Amino acid sequence: MYYRLPKIEYFRPKTLEEAVGLLEKVEGSKVIAGGTDILVDAKTSRVRVKALVDIGSIAELRGIEDLGGAIRIGAATKLQELLESSAVSENLPLLRAAVESMASWQIRNMATVGGNLCNASPAADTAPPLLAYDAELVVVGPGGSRTVPITKFFTGYRATALGRAEILKEIIVRKAEWTGWNYIKLGRRDGFTLSIVAVAVLARVRNGTVEDVRIALNSVAPTPVRAYGAEEMLRGREVSRGALERAAREVMDEVSPIDDVRSTAWFRREMSYRLTLDALTKALGAE
Amino acid sequence: MEAARLGISKLGGADTLCRGSDPVAARHFKVSSITFRGAVTAEDPRSVLRRWLEAETLLVVGRSIERADSLEKALGRARFVEDFLEEGYLVARLALARTPHARLKAVKCSPALRVSGVLRVLTHRDIPGENQVGYAIPDQPLLAEGKVRYYGEPVAVVVGRDPDAVNEAVDLIELEAEPLPTLLDPLEAMERRDVLVHDALDSNIAFRTRVRKGDVEEGFGKADVVVENTYRTHHQEHVYLEPEAALAIPDLENRITVLATIQYPHLGQKIVSRVLGLPASYVKVVAPYIGGGFGGKDDEGPLVAARAALAAYHLRRPVFLYYTREDSIQVHPKREAAVIRYKSGASRDGRLTAIEVTIVHDTGAYANRGPFILWRATMHSSGPYYVPNAKVDGYCVYTNKVPQGSFRGFGNPPVHFAVESQMDQLAEKLGMDPVEFRLINLLRPGNETLTGQVLESSVGIHEALRRLAASSGWRAKRQEYGQLRAGRFRRGIGVAVAWHGNSTSRGVPDWSNAYIHVARDGSVSVYTGIVEMGQGSPSSSHRQLVAEILGCPIDKIRIVFGTTDAPDSGATHASRGTSVGAIGIVVAAGRIRSRLESFLSEYYGVERDRVEMSRGQVFVDGEVRMSWEELVALAYSKGVDLSATGYFFLPKGTFNEEVGQGFAYPAFSFIAVVVEIEVDTCTGRVRVLEVHPALAIGKVVNPEAVKTQVEGAVLQGIGYALMERLVFSADGKIVNDNLTDYVIPTFHEVPAIRDAIFVEDLWEFGPFGAKGVGEMALIPMPAAIANAMSHALGARILELPATLERVYSIARQTCGG
Repeated sequence: MYYRLPKIEYFRPKTLEEAVGLLEKVEGSKVIAGGTDILVDAKTSRVRVKALVDIGSIAELRGIEDLGGAIRIGAATKLQELLESSAVSENLPLLRAAVESMASWQIRNMATVGGNLCNASPAADTAPPLLAYDAELVVVGPGGSRTVPITKFFTGYRATALGRAEILKEIIVRKAEWTGWNYIKLGRRDGFTLSIVAVAVLARVRNGTVEDVRIALNSVAPTPVRAYGAEEMLRGREVSRGALERAAREVMDEVSPIDDVRSTAWFRREMSYRLTLDALTKALGAE
Repeated sequence: MEAARLGISKLGGADTLCRGSDPVAARHFKVSSITFRGAVTAEDPRSVLRRWLEAETLLVVGRSIERADSLEKALGRARFVEDFLEEGYLVARLALARTPHARLKAVKCSPALRVSGVLRVLTHRDIPGENQVGYAIPDQPLLAEGKVRYYGEPVAVVVGRDPDAVNEAVDLIELEAEPLPTLLDPLEAMERRDVLVHDALDSNIAFRTRVRKGDVEEGFGKADVVVENTYRTHHQEHVYLEPEAALAIPDLENRITVLATIQYPHLGQKIVSRVLGLPASYVKVVAPYIGGGFGGKDDEGPLVAARAALAAYHLRRPVFLYYTREDSIQVHPKREAAVIRYKSGASRDGRLTAIEVTIVHDTGAYANRGPFILWRATMHSSGPYYVPNAKVDGYCVYTNKVPQGSFRGFGNPPVHFAVESQMDQLAEKLGMDPVEFRLINLLRPGNETLTGQVLESSVGIHEALRRLAASSGWRAKRQEYGQLRAGRFRRGIGVAVAWHGNSTSRGVPDWSNAYIHVARDGSVSVYTGIVEMGQGSPSSSHRQLVAEILGCPIDKIRIVFGTTDAPDSGATHASRGTSVGAIGIVVAAGRIRSRLESFLSEYYGVERDRVEMSRGQVFVDGEVRMSWEELVALAYSKGVDLSATGYFFLPKGTFNEEVGQGFAYPAFSFIAVVVEIEVDTCTGRVRVLEVHPALAIGKVVNPEAVKTQVEGAVLQGIGYALMERLVFSADGKIVNDNLTDYVIPTFHEVPAIRDAIFVEDLWEFGPFGAKGVGEMALIPMPAAIANAMSHALGARILELPATLERVYSIARQTCGG
């Protein structure tokens, strides 16, 4: 009653080809999956929507599959399904931890992982873990299928590498041996809120030496970001308090946060340091 | 709106103050201690109240009974305003000003009127009666006229066939207006005379208060320690689950029925009739179930009702007016932002010697209830302590922001944040334990308050704090956490006490009333204007009072609440749903009981005291003689009147505004809380772990209902203290007007809330001695959290909310972060 959508044309294609065709043909059309972002934006007129193409009933976009060497997640898979999947909890614990911090059970049952990525909010919660995993995004459009590394997916504030009439089909995460991981989200309250800063860390440490490390953050730049400089500083180094602190300080220098109602840029910078240090400490087993 | 018509020159006079009533009435009913008293009989209200206050055995009152609304609310069957919407009713929304301060030349309606489905756009020109809705001062139009004074001020009501049309049209309303300089900072606005929010005044000060007691110079001269600080608090949004709405239905002869989200139907009736120029008897206002109010719907409720009624009046069809969440946040008044300068002193033996306080409230564009809020804050500014010397000055300052308004605690949470922070610092300087220091100064029966009012009875705070200190393990924890003050995560324990006057202030008239009717089948209807907004008084305590007094089964009792068809029972605000609101119910029920007892005594030919009515039965000398139903049938056949009203006018005293001395309130409710927290010094995260409450609120009618009030208020207090804050842009717009950006606590933030200690310090006029509780637990929470933080960090926060960022900054300075 209080919030009414403007008049919107609605399509519910059964196949991906059909969906791409509709996006190409219908002017001003956008994709809807769970609708937890776009419906709010449409109601408040933040985004003008003329037509919606609902990809929720396209079977090939749903589900989580263990492919042996990789995990495949359909873009329209619900967040709650990720949380309840053993393939995710066994292979992608960092992603699971991030999803666990997201929204409420009701919203997780509607919202999709692909929607969270394509909405491209700087505060997207599934982005830091998937950035850390170096996920590959399979995109389907009029020109066929292509793979975009997630690190190239976010092109600017609320902008992605998706071209006209392209749809995110699935997310592929290659299995790798990680010895530690950690995800920390800091918000104005404990749950059910946007982050002030969130940090995801994956690490492989052998004999006290960092073989590989990935650090990704949200809410500290126009897009979710990887902290490549800090990663580089740690790779090949021995785990030490000093090395971790230097890396965290590098993260603090790399990020470019803004002031908004949730936090000042200054505090975000401070917390980028603190949360990175905490996450590295846990993930690298430096406690 | 010209100045002369507003009578603004009368501003600041004591006689313009009459809470929830209009200034004209206040002028006619001069503050006086002389009240009309009828002949004293068994049905005399005072005799009835005394009888039940002194009742020795209680069977229903004092027990936790199930609320009458639990099941229908759990099943989704309870009906709120929107649930009465029928197919074909018209819908309406407000068009809001998108400028903070401007001279308004015209409201351009034609583009909106061209939208298909839009039927009418109503502006101030369409108001047939008075475009004047100020509660304390006549300074506020229902729809902007002459000037726009805040971003979000309602300028027009857009009415149409469906929400799509109305939503589209609302955005098309444009103002022809000449922008004026904007005042957003109350301290600046106080000094400026070149820019005036209200042109008829010579400054932006809407209202002043003062207390002059003893000699502060002398008092500070006797002080061995003095603490002086400036405290700042912020706007808080109510975030009731149900935003404002009203459904106005015209019927025969221009009569209008309005269902509204409103805390005082009779006030709504008065405002609607004033705006429409109709006698009140032509307006009926009903509050169905309300999804939370917290004071916000006390201010906005009558205005929502009036705007809907205006539309229905013109279109002669039912109109449903609704606020979106964003509309609600932009439009309705908020908890005041305050700046409080506080200086207090104490002697080496731990006695307070003097206080000097200045309170500045950011009143926003219209006074609304700001003067009442400031008055309450001023007269409570000592805390519940004996203070021999005091100088207090209060200012309501107009700015170009959303108005200051009623919110659980009504001016007291900010002032207690200041007082109770001061008390801890004085104790520290004296080397005393904060609880010990408070116990020395807390009011006891026979003591004089800040305003020189002697409280003879119903002052249980001393005992409450003593028992609380013991049960919460205060001493041991205070020592233990204090010694552990190192490392990243730090524990702290803090205490705060609070007081809150019951009823309206000074001699401002306040009364209770109800009508009870027993039907032939023994079922009982109780009519009250008190509303059910979740607090539970009509759903639980009112039923308990009637069941206890009539001795009838509780399921026979139906409370017809929230309607102007009931006698004017006053508002459901100020923690008065039971405390004052139900006095009339006790009186009416007591009268019927008394008639039935006289009848039974005559019928059985025995003395009255040998007759007993309880548990749905009549006993003579302890033997069952008949059932409640049989009694009622018999009474009907023998000519006993089983209908009664219960009017009770609260006796009050006189007050001298010049020195702020005299009778302030008929009674005070008290609370003490001990709060345990943990602070992460590296992120600024404060977690409230445990809350221990102790209440001195007279008779506890329903312990479970009191518990839920305490829990809700504690959580709302945690939100206010730690995270809730409205943010204004440079042009005075509320930036976070949605629930993504304005955060309130969730279940994750709920601490362990221990069972409250009750000190039943009975109030002579309260139902069975009950005082108010609804607001109590919120008032000391910010102070208790701040004191616990100070204990944990060794540094003090002077500005709320204690956001992560602020706490982190403090922790970094003192702990090296």
